[in-house]
Amino acid sequence: MNDIPTTTPTGTSLDTAPEQPSMLKRLAARPQLVLVGVLIALIIATGIVEPNYLSIAGLRNSLVWAIPIGILAAGQTILMLTGGIDLSIAMIATASAYITANQSSNGTAFAIVVGLMVGLIAGSLNGIGVGVFRVNPLIMTLAMAAILLGLFTGWATTIFAGSTRMNDFIRTIGGGNFLGGRVPWAALVWAGVAVLVLVLLRKTGFGRNLYALGDNAIASRLSGIRAWQVLVAAYAISGILGSVAGLIVGGRIGSVDLQLVGFLLLPSVAAAVIGGTSIFGGIGTYSGTILGALILGVLQSLLTFLGAGQAVQQVLYGSIVVGLSWMYTRLASVQ
Amino acid sequence: MTAAAPTVESREGTRAWRRWIQRHGWTVGIWLLLFVLVAWYSTLIPRFGGFQTSTIITGGTAWIFLGIAQAVVVIAGGLDLGVGGMLVLTSVTAAQFMDGQPLGVIVVMAICITIAAAVINGFVGWIITVSKVPDIVITLGSLYIYQGLALMVLPKVGGGTSGSFRWIFTGSENGIGSNPWPAIVVIIIPVIVVAWWMGRTRSGLSLYAVGSDKTAAFLSGVRDGRTKIVAFAVAGVFGALAGFSSVSISGVGNPTTDGGTLTLNAVAAIVIGGVALTGGIGSVIAVVPAAMILFFFNPILSALGVDPNRAQVIQGILIVLVMMIAGVLEWRRQRRS
Repeated sequence: MNDIPTTTPTGTSLDTAPEQPSMLKRLAARPQLVLVGVLIALIIATGIVEPNYLSIAGLRNSLVWAIPIGILAAGQTILMLTGGIDLSIAMIATASAYITANQSSNGTAFAIVVGLMVGLIAGSLNGIGVGVFRVNPLIMTLAMAAILLGLFTGWATTIFAGSTRMNDFIRTIGGGNFLGGRVPWAALVWAGVAVLVLVLLRKTGFGRNLYALGDNAIASRLSGIRAWQVLVAAYAISGILGSVAGLIVGGRIGSVDLQLVGFLLLPSVAAAVIGGTSIFGGIGTYSGTILGALILGVLQSLLTFLGAGQAVQQVLYGSIVVGLSWMYTRLASVQ
Repeated sequence: MTAAAPTVESREGTRAWRRWIQRHGWTVGIWLLLFVLVAWYSTLIPRFGGFQTSTIITGGTAWIFLGIAQAVVVIAGGLDLGVGGMLVLTSVTAAQFMDGQPLGVIVVMAICITIAAAVINGFVGWIITVSKVPDIVITLGSLYIYQGLALMVLPKVGGGTSGSFRWIFTGSENGIGSNPWPAIVVIIIPVIVVAWWMGRTRSGLSLYAVGSDKTAAFLSGVRDGRTKIVAFAVAGVFGALAGFSSVSISGVGNPTTDGGTLTLNAVAAIVIGGVALTGGIGSVIAVVPAAMILFFFNPILSALGVDPNRAQVIQGILIVLVMMIAGVLEWRRQRRS
């Protein structure tokens, strides 16, 4: 699933024995190895703080944190490759979860489809604004978040008044486990999303268009890519991914409100950035983003075990985002 | 002597006029829009006097300062997501330490907090310069850190400041009154200073140079790293001013204010104010009315009897529409040239 190289650094150095490139250069050629190293170091550090963490239940807690971040960050990765960003994705997720919870009584399938439609529609509108009318993505998606929040705050007491309890099926998917309570169902959803996104980015023409557009918009236009179609599709996909993440968070918590997913917006951007996706477009992989999301999940566990209050958590979280991205950029520049 | 001379002159006159329109058209347009909105608003409500004027201007002060903070950084080719967090951090620091102090001590504290804000945000700029990590990532981190620090300084809503300090920013000792002049002066002085700095001094102009073409600026002797640090330090100062304004209005510090939303409002304000997010283009003079207009949406819509949630929707749609029109105009201009 991940494109972590199977050849170890020692293996590479044997092939190029006479040169003996420096440790730093070897790491720089495989920046994702560094992320794996950071992930393992964080897991061990958390294990030292709380020995019980090094168990299936402990690691599962981190995974449960990482899943929605990873799915939201898939949307961010796709858009960052084009040079965009989606600041409405958390609100889209919240809105989807809200509608799905509200429509639970009308059948599970209907509720889910309606929830995903929110992401499709809001995402497509984002795409039309950015792709056709050339609105700056920051502004377009920020405005979309405000519009959705306003609409749903109003609708919560009118057309969507009533139940905010999530459908049982989605509660199982979002919060339940299988294999004797060892693996969360949501991990399967994430795995499915991950395979789709990895294939989309690597094996399809659409994926190559995303990279091309972010790398050089003019060159890609001259080579016949219709930028607006690619962008509308990319934002629509991001919206749907937001909906999926929203349903999972809603299912895990069990009932919904309009602040449901907001706290995951910045982590979703951070996961993509930590994973090496350039915010300027053209550079990045989803496998890196997956590692970024896992790192943030473990970090959350570590901070919880340290008994850190919200204040300390935020300061540490911010410092780690800065530190990791700094290190990553240094490695990339060595290469 | 002949009839040709005045024609040439007038044609040159038109050309200069057209160039002036091209350079300042957006600024003038935004100011006009603000005045039209104020005039319209005054017909919507039963009484439009000092109290209403004061409420709007006082409430808009923090938005203007945050807009300017963001504009300075964006014109220099950066982006500071941390400005909203800086407002929260400085306002709770002020509320925590100014409570119950005499005015002299408070003014010294305000100066210290402002300097500290400049140094801290300048340090963020330094990290960006040294690490070469994109601004948006580092300042995402600084936003988190500021919000966390704010919670450490003041764990829950509380604190306060003196009445005379509140008067400076609001024209009233309890934050709400009918004297708009102190707030106007508090807005105008920093705006004039920063506009003069950006338009007339070497270090200010280098913001534009670095923002429009970093390499060209470097080759012509502008130190891009130092310029970015200065831009972030100035943003810190305006973040602190916004923090003081905020604490003066509410009278307490609130560490749970969402700095991210405030930052994004500031980004929307500068875009409406004609600052290009790609850097190098824009003027703080246009950011002032743009921030006011953004703040002003809510009173107007509530005067029209629009439900606040609906108002938020309309505000979002209007921002998008403005940006769409601007985008299409820009696209047509590019095609023509």
